[in-house]
Amino acid sequence: MFEGLFYLFVFPGLAFQVFCGLAFEWVDRKLLARFQRRVGPQWYQPLADLIKLFSKEDLLPTGASGWVATILPLISLAAVLTAGLYIPVAGFTPFSFEGDLIVIVFLMGIPTLAYYLAGMTSVGIYSILGGARSLLQYFSYEVPLLLAFSGPAILSGSWSVAEILKSQAELGPFILFQPVGFCLAIAGLIGKLKRDPLDIPKAKSEVVAGSLTEFSGGKLAFWHLTMDIQAIVGIFLLINLFFGMPLGISPWINTLIFSGEVLLVIFILSASSSIFARLRIDQLASLGWRILVPVGIIQLLFVILMGV
Amino acid sequence: MTKNIIPIGPQHPLLKEPISVNIEVSGEDVLGGSLRIGYVHRGIERLAQERTYVQNVHLIERICGICSHVHTTTFCYAVEDLLGVEIPPRAQYIRALMCELERIHSHLLWIGILAKHIGLDMVFMHSWHNREIVLDIMEALSGGRVSHAANLIGGVRFDMDAEHESMVRRKLQKLGDQLFGVLDAIRTDPTIRARTIGVAPITADQIREYSVVGPVARASGVAVDMRRDSPLPPYDKLDFNVITYPEGDAWARTMVRVDETRESLKLCESILDQMPEGPVTTRVRRKVPAGETVIRAEAPRGEVFYYLRSDGSEFPARLKIRTPTLAALSLIPVQLSEIRVADIPVVLAGIDLCIACADR
Amino acid sequence: MLRALIDALFSKADTVQYPYGPVSLPEGFRGAIEFIPERCTGCGLCVRDCPANGLELIRESREDFQLWYYPARCAYCGQCQLTCPRGAISHTNDMVLPTTDPEGLAVLLKTGHKNSNKKQ
Repeated sequence: MFEGLFYLFVFPGLAFQVFCGLAFEWVDRKLLARFQRRVGPQWYQPLADLIKLFSKEDLLPTGASGWVATILPLISLAAVLTAGLYIPVAGFTPFSFEGDLIVIVFLMGIPTLAYYLAGMTSVGIYSILGGARSLLQYFSYEVPLLLAFSGPAILSGSWSVAEILKSQAELGPFILFQPVGFCLAIAGLIGKLKRDPLDIPKAKSEVVAGSLTEFSGGKLAFWHLTMDIQAIVGIFLLINLFFGMPLGISPWINTLIFSGEVLLVIFILSASSSIFARLRIDQLASLGWRILVPVGIIQLLFVILMGV
Repeated sequence: MTKNIIPIGPQHPLLKEPISVNIEVSGEDVLGGSLRIGYVHRGIERLAQERTYVQNVHLIERICGICSHVHTTTFCYAVEDLLGVEIPPRAQYIRALMCELERIHSHLLWIGILAKHIGLDMVFMHSWHNREIVLDIMEALSGGRVSHAANLIGGVRFDMDAEHESMVRRKLQKLGDQLFGVLDAIRTDPTIRARTIGVAPITADQIREYSVVGPVARASGVAVDMRRDSPLPPYDKLDFNVITYPEGDAWARTMVRVDETRESLKLCESILDQMPEGPVTTRVRRKVPAGETVIRAEAPRGEVFYYLRSDGSEFPARLKIRTPTLAALSLIPVQLSEIRVADIPVVLAGIDLCIACADR
Repeated sequence: MLRALIDALFSKADTVQYPYGPVSLPEGFRGAIEFIPERCTGCGLCVRDCPANGLELIRESREDFQLWYYPARCAYCGQCQLTCPRGAISHTNDMVLPTTDPEGLAVLLKTGHKNSNKKQ
């Protein structure tokens, strides 16, 4: 009983994920600032921003439904937190079962749908456009992302993230077998997190802040927290599926390797958001369906043949 | 699908200055748009009639925050034309040097803004990082980063000594070294090309029909450049290329500015090479004889036009200013069709809006 | 683009920590106004040329005058420095500090020989 609560609320649950999410935001902002020849924020800035947002007045436009607007960020936050519970952190997995990869992918899709609904229930034109775009973008990145995720699963013969991790300890990191799959997964993750260059649903110069334009105060804080935790959960998942680590030596060495891998993925995400311009939504659709999906299928066929 | 109106402005993250564009969209397709201006009208032409010519130099400087020097230069040449005074050659060259520095800084600012609008914050920051060097040069020469107050009627305010000159050369050299990498990266970057090539093309006929000038016209293959067509004094002795691109799309508009930045850097160096010795001011009377004159000059955004009439007193009887942005603004509704919502920032950035200039 | 990124990563940040760190201003920067009262004759040329009405001359007689300066209106254009025939008024390259009380800034630059205190 007590152990279960500890897992849920402290590690690898709520407290740990909130901490990692805020740490991710700081590292990301610091890296972006360094790429732009700036100093960047202090380490406590993401937390300070969060506290500030919670203390702000919470406004909603006339005509928007209050309880829907409240419940959407909470549902998405709950979904990503739950998804985070099933992902091994430095090889530690309290709740693991066959097929949890599919549950994780499903749970990670919920924030996107909530984001869409948030856009549609707000009354502003920017929100509606942002919401419609987020759904369009979902159809473009989700299939390549799933194709990329199914590569490691097929190679290890299991749909459990913990099992995939275990088989990587024997076979070696899967990134060596499927570098293309890793690139696809990165592209898909960027799309899922709505980060530059695929921040089309919240492109500032076009639709102001997309679905979140009319949100403020605590609700916006929950949305920001959701985005941060979604990012960190996505990065953890990517590492477990593609990098892996030698298991069973010492938890400290595992933690060290894991942190290094997390930083590497954050660096890749930040760098790609700096060097690519934002794509148009039609360009993203054609990139997703004409290039990423065929490449993903070829990669998958390759994996299947190799497995045989 | 249903039609919607996206209001861009008067307050919008896309805009740095107030202007209102109502854009009619259907899903992601733009159907058309309408424009409303006049939010920063300050009545400068009327104010100018109530101030002396000396005070007006500083008033005119505040028309625009970016091309402030070229406005005062044109105004001073107009007043000097009425006075029948020719300023010393060294003053002409210093004015031209400041004009070219201003062109570099304006174009770098524009490249940064385009990059920001298409989501390339790193290029935005790097472009403005380079622009900072130009601002430092101008600050060290004239004493102000934006309001340089470099001109006075009958010459320029400051003289350059050998130390200044070597400082300017050194900084321009450093700027060139840093800048060319960024400019080449912009030319070859695949995502910038994907976002700009073929977006909202303007034909040369449309340019002539709407009387558009400056880099926007040159990007459509219309070679208008007041530095060549109606040169103010030092430019007739200087050698430079008028950059034109035939395509007329957002890509060509970017490339015209990129190439003009390099051209202006070269021009700065040849101005420094040819700079004659001598005084920088002449004494002029405060009262300007009656008469009228027209002076045109090439601002970073195109031709500025000054009409000045004097009735023989200390105050101008009429000052009419035409700025390049006003003509270019009329192209916005033309461009807002057959594009996507994501192209709106590229279109609005492409004509290099300076609303403060347009509204005055 | 990648090269620019790597260059930036290994170079120093451009940020000037303004209120906490020093700001370098060039020699000719037009900053705060400096005034040498002994040189002022109260001719009023600077008041006539000031484009922003930043200077005001209150004259009782030839000897008895006050010259007021309102920094909140000042455009830091340098016209007074240029106009003054005796070099009594000039710019320094000191930064002008921001304030929340523009009215409290008015400076009495010079009173005439009779020290009348009409203006508060």
